[in-house]
Amino acid sequence: MISQYRGIAPKGQLELLKILGDKFAGRSILNVNSTRAGGGVAELLHRIMPILTSMGIDAHWEVIEGDDRFFDITKKIHNALQGNLESFTDDMWDHHFEINCRNAENIDLEADFVFIHDPQPAPLVRFRKRGHWIWRCHIDMSTPQQDVAGRIMDYARQYEAAVFSVAKFAMLLPIPEFIVLPSIDPLSDKNRELTPAEIEETASKFNIPPDRPMVLQVSRFDRFKDPVGVIKAYRMIKKYNDCILVLAGSPARDDPEGEAVLAEVQNFADGDPDIRILLLPPFSDKEINALQRLATVIFQKSLREGFGLTVSEAMWKGKPVIGGAVGGIPHQIVHGVNGFLVYSEEGGAFRARQYLNNDEMLKRMGEAAREHVRNNFLITRQVGDYLSICLGAENAGKTVMEIG
Amino acid sequence: MRPEVVKPGAGGGRFEFRECRKIIKATGNKARNLAELMELIRSASDASIYHHTQEYFFKGHIVEYTNDFAQWAGSVLEARVLSENLSNIDPFRQASAEGLRGELANSISRYLEKYGAPGNVLPGDEFYFQESVTIVFPAGFRALNLAEFLMAMRFVDPQSIYYHFYEGRRRLEGVDDFSKWIEATLGLRDLALSIRAIDPFMHSIEGVREHIVSMVEEALKEEIEVSGI
Repeated sequence: MISQYRGIAPKGQLELLKILGDKFAGRSILNVNSTRAGGGVAELLHRIMPILTSMGIDAHWEVIEGDDRFFDITKKIHNALQGNLESFTDDMWDHHFEINCRNAENIDLEADFVFIHDPQPAPLVRFRKRGHWIWRCHIDMSTPQQDVAGRIMDYARQYEAAVFSVAKFAMLLPIPEFIVLPSIDPLSDKNRELTPAEIEETASKFNIPPDRPMVLQVSRFDRFKDPVGVIKAYRMIKKYNDCILVLAGSPARDDPEGEAVLAEVQNFADGDPDIRILLLPPFSDKEINALQRLATVIFQKSLREGFGLTVSEAMWKGKPVIGGAVGGIPHQIVHGVNGFLVYSEEGGAFRARQYLNNDEMLKRMGEAAREHVRNNFLITRQVGDYLSICLGAENAGKTVMEIG
Repeated sequence: MRPEVVKPGAGGGRFEFRECRKIIKATGNKARNLAELMELIRSASDASIYHHTQEYFFKGHIVEYTNDFAQWAGSVLEARVLSENLSNIDPFRQASAEGLRGELANSISRYLEKYGAPGNVLPGDEFYFQESVTIVFPAGFRALNLAEFLMAMRFVDPQSIYYHFYEGRRRLEGVDDFSKWIEATLGLRDLALSIRAIDPFMHSIEGVREHIVSMVEEALKEEIEVSGI
């Protein structure tokens, strides 16, 4: 499996995986989360598990089960940790714990390394038998509701270490807290190389003209992604440069505002034939991949963002992205080197015009963007990080570990 | 206390390319303004001080300044004078983290006395103190002579060049692994001195690679040329 990444991922990342694979072959790693389908965590585990198994690691993935009330409570916990105001009763916390007790009876928690993902199964640590237990939090906890954070921290501090996606998402805990940035899989449909015929198929399907520059933003129809701001920027660009604008997104089932925002965007587009608003069905990964490859300029002009992996996805296709300087976007875009960070529609329009008028810059920054993703945001790096954390757990206190 | 010393890449005459990965650790400490930054620099672990200065180059690209503190002061606080002052601090010349810590904190203190303190930054723009755990492993390339070294230099990952060119300075009292091997094993002192003269602050890792490749190519060309004219 690792050999499939040869020539795609950096050689060093693969060398490290080989060494860590030899080291951890036969050892057991258990991942526990709350869903097998839907959401970034499940998507990540679906892709990581075959890699771990192919390395000879005894990797397992368990999913906790719960009733509707449990998932209502955990949804509220999730929202509260992200800063929304939610109210809780002791009875709700008791139910959260009780469901975890029942799962602890049904799940084999015996493993050398146990990664518990997010707050839903966090109480499982109370049933720890052996091995190194690590809490992996994928949530932005930079401005949490304090009482809820306190409850979750009571569980978190019973782990040996915690892992967060960005430093500012971390909490102040008395255990080591590691930062593991998210990643993309270069072999997935969303990111793999496409044949010219596959790209052409998407261009025809959406009536994308081959001879005009395309400005693109791929995102849900969400005000925080600022689709209206992108249209404003496009109108500023259009005064100087010919282009079409494509806003592509899938309907988000968990976002009741999605339809209203889509209507707002369609209304704001005002029938402009050069603005294509594409509402793609879920799992349109190949189409999104093709659109990113067809685009000349790609925006991710978010006003608020989690990590914003769509930026890395676009950069992997050799496109320097114009991104809002929020959330994880500044981790991906090095301003002026492999893309531009912007703070306004005017800034977005200005940078897009720079790209449209300077092929050499577009090419140079696009190449830098792809290299940046190759070195920092591929799944091979993330698997290496997880196994390095396992290594660190067995060598607690060491700041340098030499292997191989 | 300095970070643990790890072995250089040279062994038995061969140059074994190694590389490193950094696993970042959050410390939980963050500064909202310059006074807090100064106080936290004074109390931060040695590992954290090294992470934000020497390991700045691991990012692989030079942004505008030469360490995380200077970058934050310049890009977030817009305290350009301070950024310039902090950028001029050479983290590899200080014998100890203590010396480096003092130089950084004194620089901020002088700035505060002269210019006063800018206000707090917006939430989310704070300076987050971090540390790192370094994993060192073979990069999968080795060289027995200068020609092999040249080929390997063209293909090794940037993290390998970082490990030998920047991190080597910690182990070898300010000298990089490449020039050390070229001088000690191949006996090419002039080439070694040229590599040693590359300013580590003024280049990205790819820039360092280009310089070394070009210098080694020139040395090899001279070596294989029949005529001395």
